[in-house]
Amino acid sequence: MTVTESRPADQGSAAPATRTLTLIQAVTEALREELARDERVVVFGQDVGARGGVFLATAGLQAEFGERRVFDTPLSEASIVGVAVGMAVRGMRPVAEIQFADYMGPGFDQIVSQAAKIRYRSGGQFTAPLVIRTPSGGGVKGGHHHSQSPEAYYAHTPGLKVVMPSTPYDAKGLLKAAIRGSDPVIYFEPKRLYRASKGEVPTYDYTIELGRGAVRREGGDLTLIGYGGVMPDVEKAAQALSGEGVEAEVIDLRSLVPWDRDLVLGSVEKTGRAVLVSEAPRTANFMGEVAYVIQEALFDRLLAPVSQVAGFDTPYPYVQDKVYLPGANRIAAACVKALTY
Amino acid sequence: MIQPFTSDPLRWVAEDGQPIRELPARFTPDVLRGLHRDMVRAREFDRKLVTLLRQGRTTFYAQSRGMEATQVGLARSIQVGHDWVWPYYRDHALGLTMGVPLLDLVSQCLGTNSDPSRGRQMPHHFGAERQNFVSISSSIASQVPPAAGNALAQKYLGVGEITVCTFGDGATSEGDWHAGVNMAAVNGAPCLFVCENNQWAISTPLRAQTASETVHVKARAYGMPGYLVDGNDIVAVMEVMSSVAEEVRQGNGPALVECLTYRVGSHSNADADAEKNYRTREEVALWTGRDPIARVEGLLEHLGHPVSAEERADLIAATHREVDEAVRQAEASGQPDWRIMFEDVYADLPVHLREQAAFLRAEQTGGQA
Ligand SMILES: Cc1ncc(C[n+]2csc(CCOP(=O)(O)OP(=O)(O)O)c2C)c(N)n1
Repeated sequence: MTVTESRPADQGSAAPATRTLTLIQAVTEALREELARDERVVVFGQDVGARGGVFLATAGLQAEFGERRVFDTPLSEASIVGVAVGMAVRGMRPVAEIQFADYMGPGFDQIVSQAAKIRYRSGGQFTAPLVIRTPSGGGVKGGHHHSQSPEAYYAHTPGLKVVMPSTPYDAKGLLKAAIRGSDPVIYFEPKRLYRASKGEVPTYDYTIELGRGAVRREGGDLTLIGYGGVMPDVEKAAQALSGEGVEAEVIDLRSLVPWDRDLVLGSVEKTGRAVLVSEAPRTANFMGEVAYVIQEALFDRLLAPVSQVAGFDTPYPYVQDKVYLPGANRIAAACVKALTY
Repeated sequence: MIQPFTSDPLRWVAEDGQPIRELPARFTPDVLRGLHRDMVRAREFDRKLVTLLRQGRTTFYAQSRGMEATQVGLARSIQVGHDWVWPYYRDHALGLTMGVPLLDLVSQCLGTNSDPSRGRQMPHHFGAERQNFVSISSSIASQVPPAAGNALAQKYLGVGEITVCTFGDGATSEGDWHAGVNMAAVNGAPCLFVCENNQWAISTPLRAQTASETVHVKARAYGMPGYLVDGNDIVAVMEVMSSVAEEVRQGNGPALVECLTYRVGSHSNADADAEKNYRTREEVALWTGRDPIARVEGLLEHLGHPVSAEERADLIAATHREVDEAVRQAEASGQPDWRIMFEDVYADLPVHLREQAAFLRAEQTGGQA
């Protein structure tokens, strides 16, 4: 089971166990429940208070929990991240919002030099259990300063956990687990799915362990692996292939650090083919690591080279932003190539 | 020389248009009319672009309504094409007045083939080589250290130019801002830092941004003069800017000018409901009442050279026609295709990009190379 669930004892049978939420509603709900559950949780960032965040992920939280728990900061990512580190070291559970993943840059030093290393450099005497939430990815006509997928920078930094959900259910369960966890987590939210991704979310408390992927679709002919914003297109491609009689197994990684090697290797061992999909630029893309691990473990089982469908090695272009993204057709074409190798 | 570090904003013209100090001789009725024209043109550009945004023909726009005196005044205080400008994303009135062709600005917003930045940047992120108007970056305050470097190069090369670096009040909280301002000061770089203090950074008011009383006092800590100007008084903006620019040009090191103004409209398209969300209608009304264009009109009236309603209407209509024509021309030039993705990533096309371009060409042309 990839899901750790805990139902409250008084869960009435009349109460609906789930209802449909968008991904961003699921994020808000996770924050609200964690704020209510644990006094040490605070939520802050640029415009998260009265405005409720530029995407409204924190809408209503300041009204509900007050300015001590949910507050606006000056326009400084270095301070937002650095303050989160200090608060976490001092026993709190900060959840910081960086308005766009593209703007983590000014906070980069605090993330990699402080957040990621304090446990290690202190021999575990000091730790920084914080969460940095940030919208990432393209497809919203944002140009190159509002569309980037910088997860590889963070995945490359030991000491950080890196998460990217693609469904409301996962968004809530993973965020709660991140907040309750003991390490710094960079939690990317694929902004083009904020409202496009809808799904059933339980009303009871549940968390999803970081590092566990999810099988979205079972199949024996090849394994399609993705995470975040590309998932709807990955599933669309799988559906199209199914129409042609090819059954792809679709895996959503959900967490990049750590990532679910067992799930991936088990599936590729079964299918013999892997197509890895992400929208980040190809060079030093996180999927390169996944490809490496697959070929190392399963070299003699592979029926085709492991292949990648990724973003191009260019800054994210404004006008051609749809062409830049790996859509269902490009993904399906890569699958056909792997199948006919 | 103008007094730095005043507690009240430096001002020449009262809100009703009456001069409160002697009007400098260079502000002849003709000059003032020219400034009025520039400001109205900037305002109407804004209005037309907001319409294009509502029509979905562009996807991002950052209004500068209310800030015309600051931007037009700055543009008219520097040596365009000689000095260099590192602007921020709300500076189209600055660019327009510096002579960046309106067609280029509109094209950039539409991302057409006529866009000098080739449809790669999001709308409202202009750059114009001829005016030394460096391409805008969305990342707040990230232009500040490069502006300091631009100024250092000017000093090193001995070219008699200055660098102008603009930013909003919010930008002064970023580490980059402090790093850049400090670097410029330590090295005596000829950099004119201009804070367009419109009092809000999206939903964050100045009071939640900084505990210092004003922005310009921060200059003191870095060892440079700081000036506080009524940014809605174009005479004050030009008097201070041109005098400070001259000081900077003379090699006296950088300076900071804070123009106190107001963003009347929304931050961008993302917060059209600003009034409901985070600021009061009363506050907006108060500042709408301090309109910089109305102030120049009041001044011209006081001088006995009023702008007639007809003149004003003609001016507005002319700008609208100009924008309409630019939109027509821009749209007629078509949209850049997939090829623009790979050019300008590097000076050359490295092999991996050549391969990726070939892949995309095959995909986009259905296999025909
Ligand atoms: C580094 C960075 N962080 C966050 C943002 C998102 N953002 C865009 S505009 C803005 C407010 C800027 O306010 P200010 O500097 O006062 O300029 P104004 O928009 O008010 O003219 C923010 C937070 C950004 N563009 N860059």
